Amino acid sequence: MPSNSEYQENKLVALASIAAELQMVMSVAWGVSLAAKNAKVISAQAGDKGLGFQPITEFIDEISRQAMTGVEDINREALRLSKITVNEQRSADAFRRFDLVRKKNTDAQYIKSMQSAMEQVENTLFKNTQEFKKSLSDLSLQMEAMKQCMLSARAIASVSRIVTSNAQEYSDKLKVVADDLDQAAIYIKDKLLDSYTHLNNVNVQGRLN
Amino acid sequence: MQSTKIYDQEHQWFMFGRDPEKPESIIDTNQYMIVAGKRALLMDPGGIEVFAPMLGAILHHAKVDEITDLFASHQDPDIISSLGLWDQALPHAKLHSPWLWEGFLRHFGMNNIEYIPIPDEGSMLNLGSVELEFIPAHYLHSSGNFHVYDKKAKILMSGDVGAALEATDSPLFVEDFDEHVPKMKMFHQRWMPSNRAKNDWVKRARELDIEYMAPQHGRIFKGDDVGKFLDWFEVLEVGLAISEDE
Repeated sequence: MPSNSEYQENKLVALASIAAELQMVMSVAWGVSLAAKNAKVISAQAGDKGLGFQPITEFIDEISRQAMTGVEDINREALRLSKITVNEQRSADAFRRFDLVRKKNTDAQYIKSMQSAMEQVENTLFKNTQEFKKSLSDLSLQMEAMKQCMLSARAIASVSRIVTSNAQEYSDKLKVVADDLDQAAIYIKDKLLDSYTHLNNVNVQGRLN
Repeated sequence: MQSTKIYDQEHQWFMFGRDPEKPESIIDTNQYMIVAGKRALLMDPGGIEVFAPMLGAILHHAKVDEITDLFASHQDPDIISSLGLWDQALPHAKLHSPWLWEGFLRHFGMNNIEYIPIPDEGSMLNLGSVELEFIPAHYLHSSGNFHVYDKKAKILMSGDVGAALEATDSPLFVEDFDEHVPKMKMFHQRWMPSNRAKNDWVKRARELDIEYMAPQHGRIFKGDDVGKFLDWFEVLEVGLAISEDE
C-alpha cells in the first residue's frame, strides 16, 4: 500500500497525465473542425449530388466543437484537482508535523496552545478532501460526456459513408472526411480510455488509503 | 532541539539549535526568539526540516498565539522555507522581511500571515515592552538583508554575518576567537559577495552597543569578541569565487 505522500504524488502525476493525454485531443478536434469546413465547401460544389452530405457537415462541425470544449473543461477540472491535491498535501504535511510536536513534547508547558491550530488544519484537510471528491466526480462526468460525444461521432461517420456513395465524383473526397472523423473519434476514445486508467488509479489508491 | 535563554530581564532572548536529530545532510542553524510579555518574535525560524523540533522547543517558553511576529533576514531556505507550516500554525502572525523578497517568499506558501515589508533603510518594531531595530545588511549575503538589534539587551542578531560551519555538538559561545577564525573564514569569503557592502555594515555595526552578536550558524560572540570579529571582518577580502584576472 502506498504511503500518504506517495499517494499524493501519484495523484499529481495521474492528473498531469490526464492533461497530457488530452493535449493531443485538442489538435485532433481542431483538425476535424477544419475537415468539416472543407466538407461544407465540397458538398456546396457538388450541388444536388452533395445534398445528403450537407446536414452531416453541420453535425461534424458540432461534434468537433463539443470535443474542443470538452477537452478544455476536462483540462480545467484536472488542473483544479491538481491544486486541491497540493493544498491537501500541504495540510496533511502540517497536520503530521503538528502531531509530531504534540506527541514528542508532552512535557512542554504550553503544548495545549497548539490545539486550535491543529483543529484548523484538520478542518482544512477535511474540506480539501471533500472538495477533491466532488471535483473528481465532476471530472468523471465530463469524461463520460466526452465518450458519448465520440460514440455519436462514430455513428455520424458510418452514416456519412453511406451518404457519400450517392455523391458520384465527389464521393471519394467526402469519404475522406468521413474516414477522418471516424479515425479522430477512435483516437479521442483511446485517449479517454488512457485518461480513465489514470483516474481509476487515483480512485483506487484513494480507497486504499 | 536545544533551547538556551541568552538574555533574561524584562524581556527574554532564546536561542534554539544544536538539534541532535537533524538530518546530517542539512546545514545546522540557530533560531532565535524574543519574548516580551504576551508577544514573541521568532527570528529566522528555519527550514521545513526543523519546523517540528523548533515548534516543540518554543512551546516550553511561549504559547502558540503569543508568537505574533516572525522575522526572516532574507529569502534562503534554511532561513524560512518552513513559512508554509508557520502560516498554518500562526495564521494571525506578521512576517517582517525585506521588501525585495515578498514575491519570492510567497512561493513557500503564505495564505494567512501578513507580510510587512522592511524598506531598504530599515525600520523599527515595537514588541510591547521592547523596541527592536531592523538594521540593513544588504549583500551580506543576500541582496535584500536585515539584522535585528535590541538596544536594551545589547544583542545583534546578525544573520549570516559571524556564521561558522560547525558540528551540531559545538559550544554555543565563541571561547577562543583565534581558534574560531578558521571555522568562519571560508564561509564569509565565499558567501559574502561585496567588500564595499561588508565595510558599510562594519561601520554601521561599530555605532551600535553590542554585548552579544548572534549569528544564524555557529557560535554567539560576546563581549570583546564582538569587537575582534568586526576588526577581523573589516580586513577580510570577500567575494573570492571570482578569479583575479576576471
